[in-house]
Order: sequence, then structure tokens, then C-alpha cells
Amino acid sequence: MRLELEDVGHVYARGTPFEVEALRGVSLTVESGEVFAIVGGTGSGKSTLVQHMNLILTPTSGEVLVDGVDATTLKKSELRRRVGLVFQFPESALFATTVEEDVAFAPRRLGLEEDEVQERVRESLRTLGVEELAGRSPFALSGGEKRRVAIAGVLAMGPEVLVLDEPTAGLDPATREVLLVLIRGLREAGVSVVLVSHDLDEVAEVAERVCALHEGRVRAVGTPAEVFYEDPKLAPATVQLASLLKESRPEIGSPVRFEETLAALRSLPGV
Amino acid sequence: MENPGEGTRPGGSLVVSCEKIDFAYADTPALSGVSFEVHAGEYVGIVGPNGGGKSTLVRLLNGLLRPDSGSVRVSGRNPATEPFEVRKHLGVLFQNPENGLVAPFVEDDVAFGLENLGVPREEMREKVANSIRAVGLEGYEHREPHTLSGGEKQRVALAGLLAVEPEILVLDEPTSMLDAAGRREVLEHLEALRSEKTVLHVTHHLEELVDADRILVLNGGELVADETPERLLSDADLLRENRLVLPVVPRLALALGLPPATLRTPEELARAILARTTTRAR
Repeated sequence: MRLELEDVGHVYARGTPFEVEALRGVSLTVESGEVFAIVGGTGSGKSTLVQHMNLILTPTSGEVLVDGVDATTLKKSELRRRVGLVFQFPESALFATTVEEDVAFAPRRLGLEEDEVQERVRESLRTLGVEELAGRSPFALSGGEKRRVAIAGVLAMGPEVLVLDEPTAGLDPATREVLLVLIRGLREAGVSVVLVSHDLDEVAEVAERVCALHEGRVRAVGTPAEVFYEDPKLAPATVQLASLLKESRPEIGSPVRFEETLAALRSLPGV
Repeated sequence: MENPGEGTRPGGSLVVSCEKIDFAYADTPALSGVSFEVHAGEYVGIVGPNGGGKSTLVRLLNGLLRPDSGSVRVSGRNPATEPFEVRKHLGVLFQNPENGLVAPFVEDDVAFGLENLGVPREEMREKVANSIRAVGLEGYEHREPHTLSGGEKQRVALAGLLAVEPEILVLDEPTSMLDAAGRREVLEHLEALRSEKTVLHVTHHLEELVDADRILVLNGGELVADETPERLLSDADLLRENRLVLPVVPRLALALGLPPATLRTPEELARAILARTTTRAR
């Protein structure tokens, strides 16, 4: 699925003293099967932006297109199945008595056969590495387990685009790594992933394209190297380091990922 | 401490003491046999995997939970039996500020804790103003919390905590929802408090703890290490066993055979690498 935002603006509480212009003229395209990261400071409009991707929020100007079709003309339920949105702290929405029931909730509402529902629940829990928790109460799990169960619930809908808003916030590094592996796996399965993150080191590892937001506008969009080397102060540690070395050691190039950077450093004479 | 079994005493230099605490949620053990002490003015980091027992420990310290066995003392008091008294001495900054902001305006929110303590109005005004200043939110007094960014909300929550003037601050992953700038900001405000407060800082970000006095590692409900940051960052086995991952810069340093504990920023590592390339080229 190709998801486009065209000149999207969003004003909260228009016409009141609390009016806030959260997005201004945002245009971008998420191509089929890519990992597209959205970065920017708190308050830059990241969460507002992604909530337009399945019309939880409707643009106050501009439009959202799904494969070229105006998204407002699509059935909302259909749109939200195809574009799965995982909010920040999704675990706060867990509600059922068992993990299995919680994950089954959305696919069951799609009217699928019970066999198919069970299959999807198993598959999603397996993908997130939490299949052994199926019979447990979601409220007796650790924070990292809850997060994975909540994501499994959205994945069980079989989305074509999975939007993850700060999925790794508050997770330990090992659980974070599980989610990054999941993101790579989804892309291989043809699912596009939109990753909102303030952890630039993690964006550096998985993103194919990056969009940097600043005060509701797109500051830059392109490959991680293009976006990060343009403003190394707002870049992952690898890019900051390589930028500092570039002046005297231009042969280091423009590495972004950890392994790339390590290889580039090792190729320097004497290191 | 001549009589650690009695826990800490008011005014003593030992401000937190846990002795052989066990805690289980229904049948699932969360902490077993955890003992440690914290002295006034110390900055103690707490790390470990999700599910390791960190959040449970925080909740035992402020009396939200009570241990199944063992003893917890905070400023000489038992949080399980005197939670309100303990919370005057020990304030917790939680991970997600959204859950803690209750009032319609920022200043009311900051005043909330003081109102509960029945502090006189004039004194309250002054304390609220001071706390708002301490976190750099002057001019935000009449903003509605829900219009603020995550970083700003977390600073409002911190201000509310400071207003009560606890001598112990417990930070439960206070920066995990913030961007790099917000995180730096909050850490700077916390750093400034270091000289006045005893701090227990729970985090997944080892780089936030490089200046801590000690780091406790909780894994599987047990206290598995109590080390200085230098020792912990250099102990690859201990890190791996506890699913701790070094931040990018020290990890690159380690991979290049440079000392990870002293090279924490891209600038420091860049200097070390350049020093190497020039000396060896000569």
C-alpha cells in the first residue's frame, strides 16, 4: 500500500484561545514495504502526524491518500484494518482476562472464522515472542511483555501498514532489540512500517527513509545518511562521531548503522 | 550502621534500608531476598531487564506495596504502615507523566501535593513558584497540562514533587518518554538537585548513570550486583547476563579496544581515535 499525505495541516481547538497549529503543510509518501521513520523533538507534531495515517485525526487542511484514493471516502473500519496504529503506551488499553482474548478482540470483530482468529492470535504472539503468555492475565505481566501483547493485538488485524508510535519507550535494551527484529521481519513480509521514535540510534539501525519534523513542518526527508549528515547535531551517535572525524579523515565516508560505522573506523590507519 | 535491623532512624545518615525483602504478585515472585542500604546524599542507579523487579522495588519504597517478608525503612519509617509520612520524605517521579497530572492548570498541579499536606496558602504559593522555577517552567503557570509536550509534562510532575521538598527522590525511568533535548533538560535539572537530595534512579539508559556513586543490578527479582559505574561498564559478562547494552559510543570504544567507561561522548571518542591514528602514523 502507498500512503500519501498531501499538504496536511492540523489545528487543535481552532477558534478558541487554546488554538495550536500542530502540523503545517506536511507532504510525504510511505512506499509499500519500507521502514519509514519519523523523528523530531517532543511537541514537533510526530504523534499528531501519525494519527492522520488512519484518520483517527482528520486533517484540517490537505488530504490523505491510500493508493491514490482520498482516504475519507474509504470505510473507516476498512482503513483502520489496513493501517494499524499502535499508540504510545499501548499497554494501557489491555482489558481482557487473558492475553489470548485480548489479542483476539480485533480480529474477531472483523467477522473472521474462529479458526482463522485463533491462527492469527497464535501467529501474532509468536512473532512478538510471547506465545507462552497466551493464558496469562495481561495485568500480571511485566511492562515489556504488556507492550508486546498490545502490539500483537494490532498485528493480528493483518495490517498492510503498521504505525508504531514510540514502541520502544521504557523497554530494556534486549526487549527493544526484539522489536527491531520484528520491524525488519515485517518489512520482509511486505508490510510497511512507520516508526515514530526519539531514539535516533535505533532509527539509524532500521530505517530506510527518515522524515525529520520541526514545529509541525517537515524539516528534511530522505535516506538516514542524507537527513542525519545534514544536521549532525541532531543525529545518532554514529553520525556525530563520523562527522567529527570527517574533517581530518574524509575517507570515513557517511556511515549510519553501528556495524557500518565500526567497519569504517577499523579501516582508518592505526585504529 | 550499628543496628541495621532497626532500619534507619530519623535524622540518621542512612536514609533507605531494605533487609531481605521478598515480594510476590499472587504466585509470581517479583523480589526475593533483596538487601541494600542508601546513605544520605548518595546517587544510586538501579538497572536490569524488564520484569527484573525495579518497579516493584520503587512501589515498596513509597508504600504502594508492602513486602511479604523482610523490612523496608525510609527515613526511619515503614512505608507499609506510614505511607503518608514516608511520602513527605521520598518522592517518586514515574515514567509516564500523563498518569500523574490531575489538575486543570500547571500551578494547581504543582500545588496538589502541598494541598494534601495542608500547607498554608502563602507558604504554598512560594513553594509552588520556587518549584516551577527550578524546572524552568516560568510562564507556564496557567497552561493546561494536556496542551504540553511530554518533556514539559514530566517537568511539571517533577515540580510537583519538589514542592513537597522530599530529601529522597526516586526516579522511575523519568526520561524514557522524552526526546534527546527533553531528556538532557530533565537530566540537567536532576543533576542540579544532586547536591541537596539523595537520589535513586531507575533507568534502562546506562549512559545516564556514568556519574552515579553506585549502580544496583536487579535481575529475576534478585540483587545481582552493586558496583561502581566504571566496574559495571567494563564488565562485559555482567552486562550480558543482565541484558544490559552499552550505549553506542562506549560500545564502539570497546569494539576498538579503547576503555569504554571513560569515552562516553562522540567528542571524547573522536579525540581518542584521532590520537591513535596520528601516533601510529608517525
